[in-house]
Amino acid sequence: MTTIRLDSVSRTFGAVRAVDNVSATIEQGKLFTLLGPSGCGKTTLLRMIAGFAEVEAGSIWFDDRRIDTLPAHHRNAGMVFQNYAIFPNLTVEGNVAYGLRARKVNPADIPARVEKALDRVRLGGYGPRWPHQLSGGQLQRVAIARVLVIEPAVLLFDEPLSNLDAQLRTQMRVEIRQLQQSLGLTTVYVTHDQEEALAISDRIAILRSGKIEQVGSPEEIYQRPQTAFVAEFLGGANMLPGVAGTFDGHRTQVASCGTTISVHGKVAKTGQKLFLSIRPEALRLAEDSEGPVLQAKLVLREFLGQIQRLHAALPDGTQIRVSTLGSLQVAATAGAALEFAYDPAQIIVYPVP
Amino acid sequence: MKGFRYTIVFGALALLVLFLLYPLSLVLDASLRVNGTGTITLANYAQIFASKYYVNSIANSLLAAAFATVGATLIGTPLAFCLARVDVPGKTVLLTLATMPLVLPSFVAAYALVLLFGHAGVVTTGLRSIGIPIGPIYGLTGITIVFLLTLYPYVLMPAIAGFRAIDISIEEAARNLGGSRLHAFRTVLLPVAMPAVLAGALLVFIEALENFGVPVVLAEDRPFLAVDIFKLFAGEADNNPAAAGALSVLLIATTAIVLLVQRRYLNKHRFATDARTAPPPLPLSPGWRVLATGFSWGIVVLSLLPFLAVLFISFLHFRGPVLTWQLGLSNYSMLLEGSFRPLYNTLILATITAIVATLLGAPIGYIVTRHRGVLSTGLDMIGMVPFAVSGTVLAIGLIIAFNSGLLTLTGGWLILVIAYVVRKLPFCIRSSSAIVHQIEPSLEEASINLGMSPLRTFVTLTVPLMASGLIGGMILVWITAASELSSTIVLYTSRWSTMTVRMYHFLEGGEGAGSASAAAAILILFTAAPLLLVHRRLRRQDDTIL
Repeated sequence: MTTIRLDSVSRTFGAVRAVDNVSATIEQGKLFTLLGPSGCGKTTLLRMIAGFAEVEAGSIWFDDRRIDTLPAHHRNAGMVFQNYAIFPNLTVEGNVAYGLRARKVNPADIPARVEKALDRVRLGGYGPRWPHQLSGGQLQRVAIARVLVIEPAVLLFDEPLSNLDAQLRTQMRVEIRQLQQSLGLTTVYVTHDQEEALAISDRIAILRSGKIEQVGSPEEIYQRPQTAFVAEFLGGANMLPGVAGTFDGHRTQVASCGTTISVHGKVAKTGQKLFLSIRPEALRLAEDSEGPVLQAKLVLREFLGQIQRLHAALPDGTQIRVSTLGSLQVAATAGAALEFAYDPAQIIVYPVP
Repeated sequence: MKGFRYTIVFGALALLVLFLLYPLSLVLDASLRVNGTGTITLANYAQIFASKYYVNSIANSLLAAAFATVGATLIGTPLAFCLARVDVPGKTVLLTLATMPLVLPSFVAAYALVLLFGHAGVVTTGLRSIGIPIGPIYGLTGITIVFLLTLYPYVLMPAIAGFRAIDISIEEAARNLGGSRLHAFRTVLLPVAMPAVLAGALLVFIEALENFGVPVVLAEDRPFLAVDIFKLFAGEADNNPAAAGALSVLLIATTAIVLLVQRRYLNKHRFATDARTAPPPLPLSPGWRVLATGFSWGIVVLSLLPFLAVLFISFLHFRGPVLTWQLGLSNYSMLLEGSFRPLYNTLILATITAIVATLLGAPIGYIVTRHRGVLSTGLDMIGMVPFAVSGTVLAIGLIIAFNSGLLTLTGGWLILVIAYVVRKLPFCIRSSSAIVHQIEPSLEEASINLGMSPLRTFVTLTVPLMASGLIGGMILVWITAASELSSTIVLYTSRWSTMTVRMYHFLEGGEGAGSASAAAAILILFTAAPLLLVHRRLRRQDDTIL
């Protein structure tokens, strides 16, 4: 059980600050995800913990042990690589036993430990096989067994599911999560897939240009994004520019996209420019709604099974996305006038950057 | 691991400076002084350009190289297209056979041409006896033909890789947009494969310019640069080391410029095509397919014919220089009755060279690939220098450098091994670097992550992963060292004479045609047999030969 602490960690590549003064604490036994678009520094940060990227400034700690000064092979941080990095010249057994041999474990104990690790990832009996005989999902499990067997202080995952097809990806992420919880291992998980991050994590850090934008539980991050970037990156919120209008003691009227949108509370001084973030699922097709509504014209309907996504144009032509249940009947012709009801309390206001 | 890295880098740099740059600087120095003494002067160069003979020598060498380059491109490109995109019967065999001229000793092919079309050649006398006069094969014609037949794989191999690397979807896109097959070939396939073709063509030029064995057999008294350098340095009659030095410098300058042009061109004009699978064969009409098959097999068989002819003739009885049609082993008994020594020497020298060159080249290739930095870039560049230096010139430099003083090496076996190792080093570095490129860096990271130190990771993971490729490269080094002539002829002593030297002397004497054919046959056997035995392993390395 290890707590990982990143203390003002930085790294530059040429003129680019890949990791810019990042501090975070990852509590023991938690699965902590680094989420962000490509180039945000999440993989560099992970590789710093593993010891494959130099830490230029700051320090990294496992409990009260400083590890960024240790060579990579002394850190005991088991890493699962994006391409699995299974040694092609060794059998499954040889791969899993590799770390034990590196640690000079008594050879008599190795077979039992290898078999136990393979059982854990449901690959019992696969020991004598060669990597080229396995599927992508099986290779992934060998990679996981290979790090579990050395009983690492922490687990590191570098986009482990990106090479698998969609169905296997959802299945594997459940397995990874269950394994991590049953072993209680502190885990750092890198991904660019927001759904994966929300599904698997105890806590998520959203990274942008080497900086942490927001840290929190999946629910916090999704429901209370602190910045416009997080709101837009996570869940694809509609970002509408607007100008604050009058406050009636209860709501502020914001002029936006050729219409007026009501927002809960006094959000800004009259005349101030701002951004409104409205999640696609915060809008619903209105049927004689009491509250405020948005008038829009249907542009396109995407039917996705469980849900359907409506693309609609506001009076000034700005397009918004609206998610509704797939079972709902919608007048499907483009150009049809629609009315969307919303709860002013669910609209988040961000200052213009 | 850092210590390991610096040891390799500085050790390799020290060796290359001592055995490559220092000798070459002495050659340059000799070329700038009259009679090896006095102040620096360009008199030797002035003398060369004033002499009609030497100007001719330079012109002939450039012409032969240019003809060979153009010819090899014209043959190699369509052949590559056939082998990459046409369902030619026996393609696997054909691909193996097509690589053979690269490692078979080219002067043996030249000798075969003499046996067939020389003054007393089988074909010449045969045709003359039925009244058809046939011109001499000696000089530019013969030399160009041999270069063409032995060097075209330098164009063929990268061109095949080039055509194969073009994803079929690119071609389909061209056709989908309304282009005919021919149009697609002209506007998409050929331009994308062209950098590979031209890079190979420039290598043909360099190899042809440097080659010593072919002109020495076929030039007779005509001036040729590589031969004249040797004669001026080692000849008994008109010995003139200063002029040899000046010619050497001119030769190196030319090859170096061409090599630099090739590098720059490749860097600028390489297209990323990343085909996931090789494109499928073209659906051809039976007529076209027969034509492609005939062309492909024709070229490959033609290029191997000289070697087959030598093999056959070596079993025929010679009466003096005249060939008879009696079968027998008399040539072999004559060759070996003197001594088995040259045969042993060849085996010993080639084996030591293969081991040392691989042990030296593999870690250099690894570091040059994995660690980008000023030092490794410098090492990479210096490591390629031997490519631009002909064997004769390197050998002359080694003699000047190590003839006396603290480190006297002339007369022994070591200087031969040094020359071979230095000459084979670029190949070893590049083949090792190509192998390292195929090993995912994440494998090594995974090993370190699991607790192996970087040095142990290199020894227990990287080396075994590289091993199979390295053994293939080692065999190629062995083959080319066993058939090396150009530096051996300058450096050998009677104690350390080799099969190639023996063959050269038989040829020079004129009387030993029979023994020469036996020596040539043994050389072919030495080179072809290991190549065929390991061709599967070598297949992956075809590209790295270049």
